Amino acid sequence: MNRDAIDDIDDRILQLITKDSNIPNNEMSGIIGIPENEIAARIRNFSDTRSIILIVDDDMDSLLPLKRSLERENYKVVEAYSGQEALQKASAETPDVILLDLMMPGMDGYEVCNRLKKEMNLKNTQIIMLTARDDVGDKIRGLDIGADDYVTKPFNLSELKARIKTALRRTRNL
Amino acid sequence: MRIRSEIILFFLLISVIPLSIVAYISYDNGKEAIRASVMEKLLGATENTGNAIDNWMAARKDDMRVISQSRIVVSKDKKQLHEYLDTFVRGYRGVYREFFILDLNGSIIFSTLDREGNAGNERYFTEAANGKLYVSDVSLSEIPGSSEMIIANPVKNNGTITGIMAARVSLENLYRIIENIDVGKSGEVFIVNKDGNIIFHKNRSMILLRSIDDNHAVREVRYEKNGIAEYINYKGEKVLGSYYWLPLYRWGLIVEENIDEAYTGVVTLGRLMVTVSFFAIIGVVFLAVVISRRLTEPIKSLENGAIDLVKGNFRPIPVTSSNEIGRLAEIFNQTASELLFIRKKLEDRIQLANHDLEKKNRELIDANEGLKKLDVMKSEFISLISHELKTPLSTIKVSAEYLETDDNADPVERKEMLRVIIKNIDRQTRMINDILDLSKMEAGKMEFQFENVDMREIVNAVIENIGQLALKKKITISLDIPDSLPQIIADKEKLIIVLNNLAGNAFKFTPEGGSILISVKDLGDSIEVSMKDTGIGIDKEKLEKIFDKFYQVDSTSRRKIGGCGLGLSIASGIIRTHGSQIHVESKPGGGSTFSFRLKKAEP
Repeated sequence: MNRDAIDDIDDRILQLITKDSNIPNNEMSGIIGIPENEIAARIRNFSDTRSIILIVDDDMDSLLPLKRSLERENYKVVEAYSGQEALQKASAETPDVILLDLMMPGMDGYEVCNRLKKEMNLKNTQIIMLTARDDVGDKIRGLDIGADDYVTKPFNLSELKARIKTALRRTRNL
Repeated sequence: MRIRSEIILFFLLISVIPLSIVAYISYDNGKEAIRASVMEKLLGATENTGNAIDNWMAARKDDMRVISQSRIVVSKDKKQLHEYLDTFVRGYRGVYREFFILDLNGSIIFSTLDREGNAGNERYFTEAANGKLYVSDVSLSEIPGSSEMIIANPVKNNGTITGIMAARVSLENLYRIIENIDVGKSGEVFIVNKDGNIIFHKNRSMILLRSIDDNHAVREVRYEKNGIAEYINYKGEKVLGSYYWLPLYRWGLIVEENIDEAYTGVVTLGRLMVTVSFFAIIGVVFLAVVISRRLTEPIKSLENGAIDLVKGNFRPIPVTSSNEIGRLAEIFNQTASELLFIRKKLEDRIQLANHDLEKKNRELIDANEGLKKLDVMKSEFISLISHELKTPLSTIKVSAEYLETDDNADPVERKEMLRVIIKNIDRQTRMINDILDLSKMEAGKMEFQFENVDMREIVNAVIENIGQLALKKKITISLDIPDSLPQIIADKEKLIIVLNNLAGNAFKFTPEGGSILISVKDLGDSIEVSMKDTGIGIDKEKLEKIFDKFYQVDSTSRRKIGGCGLGLSIASGIIRTHGSQIHVESKPGGGSTFSFRLKKAEP
């Protein structure tokens, strides 16, 4: 799904709401042909100005506390449990920052990063790599592929937050 | 210098030097002999010529004396004189040209040629008037090319000189006599007078017309000396000449012979000597070469044999004689073959040693390669382990930090966070235990407590452990265990670990809805425990490596089970300690079966 298509769906929802401000979500779902909850999410998104952070990690246990911490900082957090899922979510949500774990089954972090960097609509997205490996070689490889930052586990939560803020500043400056 | 050259040189020295000396002495003696004979011949010719002259002159003088004393001459009767003297003129055929008689005044009173005149001033007249027989100098006659002389003798009547009897004598007759004397092919006779003028020469035109006083013989003979000498003659030729003074007639007789021709024999002798010497030397050299070759040939072949031996391609050298060299060759052959034999043996040994070395070297290289691989695996393992240890740590930290900053958190959220923390601590503890177990086992320090164990008990304990997980993952676990199962000797706790780890792997690779079968069989003196799953199976090439200490089939998928890939290594180590080993059968997509056998306890 490309950005134009998304914009097209958003435009159509906006048109329907402009015509009839009380139109129920299930009716719009019938007209446009997408699920009702997605219609609700899109309507919610129209007014949601929070920065979006996509966390990619196959370990549910490590994902959850990070998600909670970032949500408390008033970020919108989207999660993905595999490389494949990360690509889909990134495409759908256009996150501002992606926290990408390197060690994942199937498609690993490097591969995911490589593919994300090729997506035109993600050119403003900052990618921060998270990994327990702290070889200099691994870092260089990650940065070479196009990662914007690299944080080794176990990290300090405040430091990670500071890095996310810096990354967001860079996004706005672009 | 080579022996051969030395021998040749030696032969040359001992042959050529004496040969040369002998040749030279022979030549010298021969030369002297020839020279002596030439001189003797020359002197003989001179003497013969001198004798012939003397004889001839004596005959003339006798004639004159006889004629002077004849009655007819004393009487001076002209008619009778003619008759008498003409017989002499005719009888000697031209020797006497004219007989004439002078009176004491020198006037011709009779002449066989009827000549008139006065000779009072002539020397022959005065000498004869003094009572002597006198022979005049030679002079040219009126006939061209002919010479003559006058012999005068006093005519006595009763002791008183009454006149002079004189005769003009042609020398032609004497010349002929001289010319007939053998003086050798190149010999030349001539006679000079006191002034050095030629008075005899076979070339008559020279007589009294030429003086040859410019050469040694002529000079000597004019001083009335006799002798023999080598000098340059009037023709400019080098000659050997004999000269002899005849005082009675004041003639110098000279016989000359060309030196080159005189000494032809010497030259011939010299040539002969040189030729003989030359052939003798050639002969000696040839002989020397032949002898030296015979001597040095066996030595040379010994030398070549030795060189070949050094180069390593030895062939026995031929033994051609039974002398010292032959013996030497035999000994050489013997020694060489022994040497070759020893060399062959040594080479074989070296080859063997080399072979051994190569083999060991290869083993070392292999071992080194193995060590290198092990090292790489070890670093990877450490890297993985650190990653695996850090991941739960990170999660724990984030959760703790979250709780710390959240003073009035939602109790549900707080509980959730604490659950995450506990879970990750458990995970980390498991991992650390695994690592410690493995390193203990590696060091041989893991303690085992063998006792009689009921296998069913162990299986039940394992089912208890993995039951929850099976439910969650919707995997069926079934058992196939006979009712009566004998006890076995084993470490109970360790066997539980083994089965736990095997089950862990089975869960890891078996998708939802699959099944795991644990079966135990009685094999008589042992039992066989096996665990079969319906998982993804293992590739054939990976099958050999799965028990390797650091090997991971898929390094990223182990996290869901919570292990760190050491399970099989640990299980395998434990079973090895039980005196058995884990056997695996698997094919991709067809599931895997891990099994091991354990000895029964003594009843």
